Amino acid sequence: MQGFKHHAMLPETTHDEQSRQDFVGALRGHLSSRVMPGAYKVYASKVEPAFKAKHGRAPADQEEVRKVMTQDPFYQFWSAMQRRSQEMLWESVIDPTERQLPDLIDKARKIGRKARGKLRLDPKLEIPRYHRAADIHLQPGGYHTDFTADDIAAGAVYDKGINLYMGGGLGAENDLTGNTLLAYVREKHPDFKPKRILDIGCAIGNSTLVWARAFPKAEVHGIDVGAPVLRYAHARAETLGVKVDFSQQNAERTDFAEGSFDLVLSHITLHETSRSALPRILGECRRLLRKGGMMLHLEIPRGRTAMEKFMHNWEAYNNNETFSRFMTDIDLVAEAVKGGYSKDEVKTADFVPQLDVAQMNYTEYFAWKILEGVRR
Amino acid sequence: MSARKKSQRKPPPRKTPRRKAAAPATPPRIARVAKGKKPQYFSDPAIDKLLWMTITLMEELSVTRDRLDAVERLLDRKRVLSRQSIERYVPDAKTAADRAARRAAYVDRVLRALQAELEETTGSDAPLTAEEVVSIVDS
Repeated sequence: MQGFKHHAMLPETTHDEQSRQDFVGALRGHLSSRVMPGAYKVYASKVEPAFKAKHGRAPADQEEVRKVMTQDPFYQFWSAMQRRSQEMLWESVIDPTERQLPDLIDKARKIGRKARGKLRLDPKLEIPRYHRAADIHLQPGGYHTDFTADDIAAGAVYDKGINLYMGGGLGAENDLTGNTLLAYVREKHPDFKPKRILDIGCAIGNSTLVWARAFPKAEVHGIDVGAPVLRYAHARAETLGVKVDFSQQNAERTDFAEGSFDLVLSHITLHETSRSALPRILGECRRLLRKGGMMLHLEIPRGRTAMEKFMHNWEAYNNNETFSRFMTDIDLVAEAVKGGYSKDEVKTADFVPQLDVAQMNYTEYFAWKILEGVRR
Repeated sequence: MSARKKSQRKPPPRKTPRRKAAAPATPPRIARVAKGKKPQYFSDPAIDKLLWMTITLMEELSVTRDRLDAVERLLDRKRVLSRQSIERYVPDAKTAADRAARRAAYVDRVLRALQAELEETTGSDAPLTAEEVVSIVDS
């Protein structure tokens, strides 16, 4: 993998395992750069004109686009291949993980004994229904399934898998989303120096570590509902020499004290929750903030036109990002207000990063959405 | 053969002798199929499966070509043999058996589409329909 940094918790690959991952990378790169743009061309040259001829107007929204595009043979092939590439991505990472799983678990146990950061698991925590209903991103078993005692498989699979997902675009330590949000803070709030930081829905802590490194004096916490990703996150952070305290908690209601954080964050997490959980999570973020503390959520772009919105929502319909489909029309500020913020405490912003076209899975335009809240 | 007959006649010793660091009987397995109903992309679901298989075949062919390329380059670099000797190669019994096992695993991988359908239609943990998942996240 180009530029992907190997560390002790990542599974090694044999020749063929590596070759399979390389193929998945090549296939996805091809689909993104050579096939996906074709869907837009087919829409503009064929599907939209046919719709206009029949109805005397263009499709009004993404649902109308969906009805006609899913009947188009070119789109069907791209969509089916994109789906298969996602399944193969996990398969190609699961094989080497499974082969080395007992050793990786032993390694995590050993690292855990000498760890500086804490790991606190709660076997009684109820995994939210919206998390259990379908395996998010098609990762078999999701982020919460233990396949064996002290399992770390979901974390190891996720670490390599998400790097393949973006064709290496997530960065050497899968730190793109963390770095993006950090860049936003550096630009908008250069003097902000948080002392206690919480990353919610942290999974393997890939974004959490960015904050721990950027603010080395801060006490940094990461929470997630999945035990195997947290065990992995803990071992991974330690092996990379970063101290973070991880605990298994639902962000809708944590056991942290009110007003105990300067900064509460999430990185592409909110769209994996549910309509009722979203305002509760945002409300909990506010509860955890001290006066003047800041909440920041990085969210994926939703598209500008009806066709872009339809394409952006491919993952909602084909990659078990089920709640994502509602995020197109959800007003994050209104949700934060539902959660307990006053309107003048929250705002949203678009933030445009530099990405390679081979890493754009669904569009040629990409701007992150950021929800910012300050407790006054 | 004879060892097997012996063990059939004699009951196994009550105390199993101590072995150092016995590996677990079955190594942990990770699921290969994600929970959640798979969308149908084409009017005939058979086309979905055929595309699945075709892309997986693409992958395996690519892997094989990579491996072959590695072998040929290494052999060439070390001046071990020429390409002609590869053309004339005939496997012995052990090699043939190894190849058969690898081939079986390969076929299993390529035809996993069918296993996935079996799991979805006959598995104990049947996936929720897309509408059911929507209603859960929308609640």
